[in-house]
Amino acid sequence: MPEPESELSSRQVEHVARLARLGITPDEVLHYRDQLRNILHHIEALNRADTSKVPATAHPLEERNVMREDRREPCLPAETALANAPSRDDSYFKVKAIQE
Amino acid sequence: MKLYQRTIRDLHQMLVDREISSVELTDAVFNQIDAVGDKTKAYLLVTRDLALRQAKAADERLRAKRDVRPLTGIPIALKDVLCVKDVASTAGSKILRGFIPPYSATVVERLEREGAVFLGKTNCDEFAMGSSNENSGYRPVHNPWALDRVPGGSSGGSAASVASGEAIAALGSDTGGSIRQPAALTGIVGMKPTYGRVSRYGLIAFASSLDQIGPMTRDVADGALLLQAIAGHDPRDSTSSSRPVPDYLATLTDGVKGMRLGVPKEYFVAGMEPAVEHSIRDAIRLLEQQGASIEEVSLPHSDVALPAYYIIAPAEASSNLARYDGTRYGFQAGGGRNIIEEYMKTRQEGFGAEVKRRIMLGTYALSSGYYDAYYLQAQKVRTLIIEDFRAAFTKVDALLGATSPTAAFELGAKTQDPVAMYLNDIITIPANLGNVCGISVPCGIVDGLPIGLQVIAPGFAEEIALRVAYAFEAATEFHRARSPLMGAAA
Repeated sequence: MPEPESELSSRQVEHVARLARLGITPDEVLHYRDQLRNILHHIEALNRADTSKVPATAHPLEERNVMREDRREPCLPAETALANAPSRDDSYFKVKAIQE
Repeated sequence: MKLYQRTIRDLHQMLVDREISSVELTDAVFNQIDAVGDKTKAYLLVTRDLALRQAKAADERLRAKRDVRPLTGIPIALKDVLCVKDVASTAGSKILRGFIPPYSATVVERLEREGAVFLGKTNCDEFAMGSSNENSGYRPVHNPWALDRVPGGSSGGSAASVASGEAIAALGSDTGGSIRQPAALTGIVGMKPTYGRVSRYGLIAFASSLDQIGPMTRDVADGALLLQAIAGHDPRDSTSSSRPVPDYLATLTDGVKGMRLGVPKEYFVAGMEPAVEHSIRDAIRLLEQQGASIEEVSLPHSDVALPAYYIIAPAEASSNLARYDGTRYGFQAGGGRNIIEEYMKTRQEGFGAEVKRRIMLGTYALSSGYYDAYYLQAQKVRTLIIEDFRAAFTKVDALLGATSPTAAFELGAKTQDPVAMYLNDIITIPANLGNVCGISVPCGIVDGLPIGLQVIAPGFAEEIALRVAYAFEAATEFHRARSPLMGAAA
């Protein structure tokens, strides 16, 4: 059955999951699609607000351009930084092949 | 009264008077954890050895009368989103199973300097995403007032630990209500400070423009003490404010006489339980009797705060949680044929359903073609919410309303319906988006379940919120009530 164009589609859910590097089963695609559709319906209420003359707020900070002295300070030793690594090789994090 | 039922201030006096030692006190709290921990499941990890080492060191300080501070020797619980060096920290997620932080959060270091005792890491919704603690990657927490009910969330373990006597006080984090709502549902005091008041360094991030760490305590004065210890600028968090931290105890008991308190009409939301509304109206009348002038005010964009939050918070989360890919720490699924497949498997197996939902929602809202309609519009609505508060605070000193539209609900009641779950935070979310501070203080017990009054004050006016909450508390007995699991205060 074709999906209505105004609604979040299964393909979009698959696309978003891929963008987010989230593995997802075909059953989950449908499950999350329906839940996300319902959530997005409620989020549509955002359009009730007239924001035509309103600037966006990305963060509430008063501080601007926080600077510090450019000097060397101690950082984590490599061995400490690597201590939690699931796989490592010498002093490197080990990952799967990036190119086939 | 049992030691684990007492307040920080009571216990501080007893410690200073050498009536008890910190080791005795810590043992008493661990005995209570042993007795009721299986029922509440408030902790993910109990750090008994660390606590006893800290208690002994505190007793040394107390004996020598060397640098004794209000929290020296006091047993405190830490939400599992706070990193403690060399202590497993998971943020309630399986994807961080086995992660041992190489450094401590700034708030943790500050409590260490105070000489506090760390009882352990409290259970929470995975990455602090939830309002019932049922999204914990490990197990749900049960409310000490009624074990078939949720404690609220996401700081549900911290709330339950304080309400059951498994901690004297706790730290939580609040992105959309995660300190205040569980405080309300478990009959304790919980405060979300203004964004920037408390350093977020070492807090496992959910939504970085909204997250704040705050105190969860038995009463308002304990909350003021704990906030005092953790507030203030931190060079390691460039978003922390350099404004000076006032002495919160100095004005705590000044009362509300002559204060103007506003009641936002929009905060009596549809679906609010009548018992909650009655308790809040009674609380407002009581503050009027204390000498405050009460007026109705309007925060006209309250109805769009929830949808704006459910774009902004997931958008920030989708970006923050990109780091969990099984490479540098935490869980790695293994078996992927290439790096992308490995990422996808690790994140599929490591994250729970609510976290996946929010990552997908956030990724969608930020994706090409939808950014303006969702993310940008939500950020503009955030400006409107800030302006609503600004306008209201030209007329009144603080705002009053419920913390949660309902008392604690039964486990499982809302798990199938994400939108119903999101509605729990409808009156707490605006304070996060509007960058003001808020506190929940016990204001009723109906059918054995606690109800919380929320006091909202302008940004960096924590002393006002604390003062109003204290005035209410001083005129009532609700904060003295103890959950059945903690036992009657004899």
